[in-house]
Parts: sequence; C-alpha cells; structure tokens
Amino acid sequence: MILALVVVTALGFDFTNGFHDTANAMATSIATRALRPKTAVALSGILNLIGAFLSVEVALTVSNAVVRIQNPDGTPKESLTADGGTALLLIVLAGLIGGIVWNLFTWLLGLPSSSSHALFGGLVGATIAGLGWAGVNWNGNGSKLDGVVGKVILPALISPVIAGVVAAVGTWLIYKLTVGVAQRFTENGFRWGQIGSASLVSLAHGTNDAQKTMGVITLALIAAGDWTDTGNIPFWVKASCAVAIALGTYLGGWRIIRTLGKGLVEIAPPQGMAAESSSAAVILASSHLGFALSTTHVATGSILGSGVGKPGAQVRWRVAGRMVAAWLITLPAAAVVGALMWYLGSFVGGVAGAVVIFALLLVLAGAMWLRSRVTPVDHNNVNDEWDGEQPADEPRVPAGTGAA
Amino acid sequence: MSNLGFALAGAWKVLAAGLVLGAGLPVVFALGIRALAFGAGGDAEVNGSRPHRIGTIMAYGLFVIVVLGVLLGLTFIVASGFGKAISFEHLYPTVIDK
Repeated sequence: MILALVVVTALGFDFTNGFHDTANAMATSIATRALRPKTAVALSGILNLIGAFLSVEVALTVSNAVVRIQNPDGTPKESLTADGGTALLLIVLAGLIGGIVWNLFTWLLGLPSSSSHALFGGLVGATIAGLGWAGVNWNGNGSKLDGVVGKVILPALISPVIAGVVAAVGTWLIYKLTVGVAQRFTENGFRWGQIGSASLVSLAHGTNDAQKTMGVITLALIAAGDWTDTGNIPFWVKASCAVAIALGTYLGGWRIIRTLGKGLVEIAPPQGMAAESSSAAVILASSHLGFALSTTHVATGSILGSGVGKPGAQVRWRVAGRMVAAWLITLPAAAVVGALMWYLGSFVGGVAGAVVIFALLLVLAGAMWLRSRVTPVDHNNVNDEWDGEQPADEPRVPAGTGAA
Repeated sequence: MSNLGFALAGAWKVLAAGLVLGAGLPVVFALGIRALAFGAGGDAEVNGSRPHRIGTIMAYGLFVIVVLGVLLGLTFIVASGFGKAISFEHLYPTVIDK
C-alpha cells in the first residue's frame, strides 16, 4: 500500500519535473516565435520521451549524493528495511511530497527553480526528521565532489555564471559578425539554429532527469522486497517515468516559460540561439566531466548572459534577483516540507500515516491549481508584453516560412 | 582536496569547453549566415551588393562544421545513456566504456 503511494507520488514528481523544466529548453524558441507555443512543447515532450528511454544506465544511487539511506551498491540500508521497508518508504514518500509541493509553489509564482534541488531538499528534510542530522551526506568523504555541498550547493553557485559568460560571449560575437546582413535574413537563419540547440537541451534533460525518478522508484521497490536486481530497472518503471516526464513537458509550465522567455530579457533569435547553445554545451560538458548541475540554473544563466552580451539590450535584474532568491531557498524550503510530512506521517503511523500525507499532498496541489486559475497563463498569452502593454501586431513567422 | 577545490578544478574545464562549443559553434553559424547573405546578395545585405557564388559554398561548409558539433553532442547523450563515455585522447572523439 505504501509502496503504491510512493510510486504514484514519484510519477507525480516526474510530471512536475517535466512541466517545470519545459521552459529551460523552449522558453527562448517560444519568445522569439521560432516555434508556435504548442509545437515547441510537443517537440520538447517527444525529445524528453526519447531521452528517457535512451538512459539504459541505472541511476539507482541518485539519493546517495545527499542522504545515507542506501549502501554503496544501491541496496537500501538493512536497518531501514525491517518491517517491510516502511521506514525507508516513509522517508522517500515525505521527501517526494516536499519536492512536489515546492515545485508547484514556485510554478504558481512563475519562478524557474531547480527540480533536482526540490527533490534533494525534500529527501534531506525527510532524512533529518527520520534519522537525524547524521543521516545526511553533507560534505562527502573528501575523495571527490560529493555531498550536499559538492553536488548541490557549489554547482548551483558556479554553473549559472559559466553559462552566462558563455552566452554573453556568444551573443556579443554573433551581433558583431552579422552587422550589415539584412534583419529578415538573420532572424530566419538563427531561428533554425535555435530550434536545433533547444532540441539538444530537451534530449539531454530527458536522459538526466527521468533517470532520477526511475532510481527513486526502484529503490522503493527494493526496500519493499518487490525487486532485487540492483543492475537493472523494471521496464514498467522506465516506461511510466518516460511517459510522465513527457506528458508534464507537453502540458508546459506556461508561467515559467513566460518568466524565462519574456521576463528577464527581450530575446531576439540570435540571442536565443546563443543562449540555447551555451546551455547545451555547458550541460553536456559538465555531465562529461561528472559535474552535477541543474538544467534550470544553466538555462537561466544563459538567458541572462544573452541579455548582457547584446549591445543595448535591457536586462530586468529585479526579475533575476527574485529567481536567485528562489534558488537559494529551494533546498531548505523543500526540506522543511519534507520534514513536516515525515513527522506527520510517523505521528499517525504506518499505512494510515502515509495515506494522510498523500491526501495532504492532493489537497495542497489542488489548492495551488485553483489559485493558478485566478490569473491563468497558457499558450495564448505566454508571449504578451511583460510590462502590461499590449503587444504590437507583429505577424508570427515560424522558422521554415519565407526565404532562408 | 576539499569540495571547493574539486568544484573549481571542474569549473574552468566546463568554462573552456563551453566557450569552444557553446560560443564557438554559434559564431561559426553566424559566419555561415553572413556568408549565405553574401552569396545571395541583393536585399539579403544592407548594402545590396551583387550575389557571390563563393559565399553560398562557404556558408554550407560552415554549416557542416556546426552539424558535426551537434552530432558530437548527440553522440555524447546517446553514449552516456548506454553507460559509455567519449574519449578525446586521439584528438577525434571515440566512444569508450566508462
């Protein structure tokens, strides 16, 4: 019973992960009208689906980076699997709920916070509540980049800066090099470049992020004694995670897309291309070097950089400041929710406790969804002017039409 | 070495790779666009000069470089999904076991 709740909640988290992160890849293409909004989210969803199926490698030890609930080979700690794994399942369930609640809350505010930080934050909070401070892997063992500091905090500080520098240099050079070329010519060409680089970001997102949820579900299955192979993931887990993240992506977190695409800087196609290429290169280079980072931070840094690099462009630093504030509190805030859920669940106890916190999740999610309907943002108004002026009647020219 | 040391050691490599691939390829692409406009001539350029065949040829040469860069990215995504890595020790990339 608890296991079923964990699986459903984990798929729910995967879904929020998808719609929270659509913006990372597609906000720029939507803002520059390189793609129609619906086409962009559909493309991103399909690429996430393919990406999720491409990840054959098992990410079973994903939680090891931040909490100590698993042995190095990926099996759960024996002390937590007594009693049918209830202890471990409750920690995972409370942690996932913490992640989902924070993801939905930042979505309501239209802030692009990191889904992996939300997941790790929730798990850290639930672990502190369940096992005490020693249950958390704060600093690793000093032999490699590890722990909450090494895998979460430092990359979050460094990666947006790197992405921003790369995008700023790229944008500046592109504008220098295309002086004298007619605008209709550059706009169309760069729209194509932008679609290509944004697609790479989507694909990389699918391979990285869906894997995390697959790892968590498999961990729960092992804890409950329903799966024993630490080298493989059941096919239904892989398929359901892939579908959940793709559906979430297709639904689209329009509020976040709007903030990233219109709120930070007014993005022109050359900037969009520079920003997405920077994101793709930084994400792939870091994962090649084993440097964990958040797609969200990289994408935001890139878009800011593209604003800094374009001569005369305006950057709304106030919006950027709100985002950075959201990043800083994502981990602790998700941790607080995760911890509260664990206390509540263990206070009620057993299956009833798990049901109670799951019901609470549904109530909170429903409330936030209703609140979002007051000021809806969807594919129709995602590109409206940020400062409240009505957009000029600019014809929409998706790439591929006109001469290129 | 502390976490901070590892992070900074990794950061400059990511920055270098990011600049080469993340800013370099868009620059090559921009040169391609510029060459294409030079090749098309007329209203593709602000000064409205005559078409130059050589521009079109150069443009497609530059776009091929960009496509190769994108293929490298794709190979990396697919390879890491299958538990492989890409090695650059022979200068050209080869897929190896992790």
